[in-house]
Amino acid sequence: MNGFVEIILRSFLFIGLLFLTTKLVGKKQISQLTFFEYVSGITIGSIAGEAITGLEKNYLHGAAAVVLFGIVTILVDYLSLKSKYFRDVVEGKGTVLIKDGKILEENLKKERFTIDELSTLLREKNIFKVADVEFAILEPRGKVTALLKKENRPITPKDLQMKMANEKEPNTVIMDGNIIEEGLRASGKNRAWLYTELEKLSVTLDNVFFGQVDSFGEITVDIYDDKIQVPAPTQRPLLMASLKKAQADLEIFSLSTDCEKSKEMYKENAAIMQGLIDKLEPYLNG
Amino acid sequence: MTVASNVKQCLASLKGIESQLSSLALNSLDQSAKEAFHDSMLTIGKIKKDLQYRVLELERLEPQYRG
Repeated sequence: MNGFVEIILRSFLFIGLLFLTTKLVGKKQISQLTFFEYVSGITIGSIAGEAITGLEKNYLHGAAAVVLFGIVTILVDYLSLKSKYFRDVVEGKGTVLIKDGKILEENLKKERFTIDELSTLLREKNIFKVADVEFAILEPRGKVTALLKKENRPITPKDLQMKMANEKEPNTVIMDGNIIEEGLRASGKNRAWLYTELEKLSVTLDNVFFGQVDSFGEITVDIYDDKIQVPAPTQRPLLMASLKKAQADLEIFSLSTDCEKSKEMYKENAAIMQGLIDKLEPYLNG
Repeated sequence: MTVASNVKQCLASLKGIESQLSSLALNSLDQSAKEAFHDSMLTIGKIKKDLQYRVLELERLEPQYRG
């Protein structure tokens, strides 16, 4: 019975200790980018497990080891920041496996990789044909990253020479029916604006489970009652439609008037309007 | 519908477009979007002026449609 009590006490102690250590070491440990972080992560875990259940041993020994591993990890991180040489030694470098579309057999051999293992890792990235790969590298943590040849890469608006509006990250302004002041401030709005927008959607704040503001200042909400349809923001598409209508009107006026001077004026303005429509297209669609 | 009333209608919708562009320019966060909306608003303002002048002309030509 005594053992049980001790295990419980030790568990609480190590939960606190591990929490502190991981907080101090930080997010970098979780990402386990380098070999060293990978090893120290596993080791800290097993030391803690051993120290909690190994009743015949002094638990302080285990605690010391956990703390030491934490300190050394932080020290290694700090030194890696300072020195490139140190970084190369401790964190390791990636090995190039495919270059210019050709597999480098010597490097495969050096890493003791078979071609089967390489093609498995490539298949995990949905690459089934080695010939599609321009460049592939084996990262220090054993993952393969691959750059496809240009013609095999997914098409982007840039490839199509389309002009796209830049979009900022949406800000969350309502969560669980409460206003998130931080998001509201980040999007440059205030409470009065929010209440007006909610009124436009004819919902009350209490009914909103989640609400976000996009970079055009349009709000989208999810409400608790899933049966009610909330209108999607239509301001920008509608504006595009009215721009097009005004442009068409100007063209019609220019065709129907007899006055030469006005004809010219309408024509000119219709052309300016068309230019505006082309310019605003990326911002107003979608 | 007369010519004058059609032009007036178009003028009214241009005013609406101008104000919407203004509000979008103020509400957008992205600098380039802000600029595009603001510039468009100014251009629309110029077109609006031309149309306003034309409306006055039409009213002079057809006084019965003044209003």
